[in-house]
Amino acid sequence: MYRVEARYFDGQSSRPQAIVVFTDERFDELRLQCADGDSFFWNVDDLIFEQYEDCLELRNKQFSGALLQIKDEHFSKSFLEAMKFKNKFDVHRRILNIGFPKIVGLAVGMLALIVAAYFWLLPPIAERFVAVVPQSADIALGNMFMNTFLNENRIDSTRTAYLEQFAAQIDFKNTIPLHFTVVESGQINAFALPNGQIVVYTGLLDRLQHSSELAALLAHEAAHVNYRHSMKMLFRNLAGYLLISLLLTDVSGIMAVLADNAHRLHNLSYSRKFEREADEQGLKILMNNHIDPNGMVQLFVLLENISRVTIPQIISTHPLTAERKENMQKIIKKSEYSLFQNDYLDSLFVRMQQAAN
Amino acid sequence: METTNTPNTTQVQNHHFQFLGKGSEYFAILIVNWLLTLVTLGFYHPWARAKQLRYTFGHTALNSERFSFSGTGKEMFRGFIKVILFYIIVFVIFYLLWIKVNIFIGILFFYLALLSIVPLAIHGSFRYRMSRTSYRGIRFGYRGDKKWLIKNYIKWTLLTIITLGIYGSWMNMNIRRYTHKNVRYGDVEFNNDCHGSDWFLINFLGLLLTLLTLGIYSFWWEKNRFDYYIDRMSMQKGEQKIWCKSTVTGLGFLKLRVVNFFIIVFTLGFGTAWAAMRSERYIWSNIKMAGNINLDEIHQTEEEYTNTFGDGAAEFFDIDLT
Repeated sequence: MYRVEARYFDGQSSRPQAIVVFTDERFDELRLQCADGDSFFWNVDDLIFEQYEDCLELRNKQFSGALLQIKDEHFSKSFLEAMKFKNKFDVHRRILNIGFPKIVGLAVGMLALIVAAYFWLLPPIAERFVAVVPQSADIALGNMFMNTFLNENRIDSTRTAYLEQFAAQIDFKNTIPLHFTVVESGQINAFALPNGQIVVYTGLLDRLQHSSELAALLAHEAAHVNYRHSMKMLFRNLAGYLLISLLLTDVSGIMAVLADNAHRLHNLSYSRKFEREADEQGLKILMNNHIDPNGMVQLFVLLENISRVTIPQIISTHPLTAERKENMQKIIKKSEYSLFQNDYLDSLFVRMQQAAN
Repeated sequence: METTNTPNTTQVQNHHFQFLGKGSEYFAILIVNWLLTLVTLGFYHPWARAKQLRYTFGHTALNSERFSFSGTGKEMFRGFIKVILFYIIVFVIFYLLWIKVNIFIGILFFYLALLSIVPLAIHGSFRYRMSRTSYRGIRFGYRGDKKWLIKNYIKWTLLTIITLGIYGSWMNMNIRRYTHKNVRYGDVEFNNDCHGSDWFLINFLGLLLTLLTLGIYSFWWEKNRFDYYIDRMSMQKGEQKIWCKSTVTGLGFLKLRVVNFFIIVFTLGFGTAWAAMRSERYIWSNIKMAGNINLDEIHQTEEEYTNTFGDGAAEFFDIDLT
């Protein structure tokens, strides 16, 4: 049997009353006895309770506003234990009740789980997902980007025509039609869009010395299209952002991310794995077309030299390019291939380079 | 001299606020919120917010008596669903107008609907928050008129656009004056005697000096804004009155913001809970009230209220209502 003194606000006036609360060990019902001797009952099922440092506050769903404050440590403790036993704790309170260190442990564990999922679970899932997305989506996305891209950039139509002819000589084993465009820009760059549009900047084109280097470049980009790398990266990024925004419990940023990614389609950086795949598949395309696979190696030598010129000395040794070059050399050494002297291809390359203004 | 002490003329009393929240407790609440939100793929969010509000309200005290927030996650979830429904309805009507009448009428309707959701959110949020807040068993309440606010909000927005944003100060103060004037605590009425011209001057000078001092003045600007908010607030019950006074300082804000910044940065964001508690503690300890309303003699006047549209909407649009 419990008997505690408490402060009571009746929900009608802000003046507190002194009251005595009676209850038994089961806490099924509280009897509240006023100073004048009158008493009334609060049922445990109607109670809303909050434990503060110095007092236990009880409210009653039936008497809105009414508030009971009990400052009795022993009573509070037994009351809360009874409530826990009666399953009156919600999930939040139950977790909170396991204690601070355990909560932090739980959170850290959860965080580790998510980080693990981000690195090991997300990429394969994103790729699986892309497999069920129809290729028409790739084409629509690429077209959308290409329209705005063409409005902002000047096309070199003469060299585009040569490039198209040049590419027509090569079998890229492509699943969707490929289109080739030369864009006037000093940037040393080339990219492939998911709709099969391959763009080469004059800045890069001007530096190519041999037709096999151009063939290697196109083969590499075509491999990105064939293996739908853009789409895979897009979904992977998107899933990543989704996870992060879930982590930060902010869901509104996802649409912005989608827009942002579509906008930067040509700057989409592929993962190492995808670059490697495009290198190897590009090499295969070269060999199948009896084009000198060393064009790919030369292309990397060129890229290596460029980065050595444009990037300060300290960070000039670009390990990635060197690594990719070595990988190519290793595969070429192991492979058997035959070369065809394709004079037409060479002459197209020479005429295209001469067409530069 | 003779002193008469009738119940009607209570002597002037000072009232003080206190914030009793602790960073570690708040952190535990946030962490559990985060865990549950994560596990439920975000659906726990309204419940998480209820927990957060309950903690901060429950640890704010006036004259050592705690406030209390009785809102629940279920109510806020319902509010969120209502906002979604509102959107669907707006889009359906827009679509029908576009197809059946013409696109311009459709767009006009769409913009009017979007414009009216903000005052609806302000109204709803005030109604909901106030009705769920109580102190010594007496509820707060909000008695503003929804239609009046929507009508005037649209008018003020147009005026703001026409004046290239200058009227915005007047608009802000009009909203503050109207909403505060309609807040009740039992039979106590709130008031905020704020004016657009003052607000414009505070912000104009604040911006100018902040730019001139390369940002340093921003803390004093914040102080002036806070002062204006608090000092113009008063409460009235019949003849009796309570005035509010802010005692924040520019230096105080500077210390608060700079230290909070370092707490958050050096803990990689985990210290946010502690930073939030520091802010609350600083703000509340610098609001003073004095007057002759007897806080023992307040009577319940506000009806129970059950609509939750506004709180969901306000959150949806991230409107800062404090």
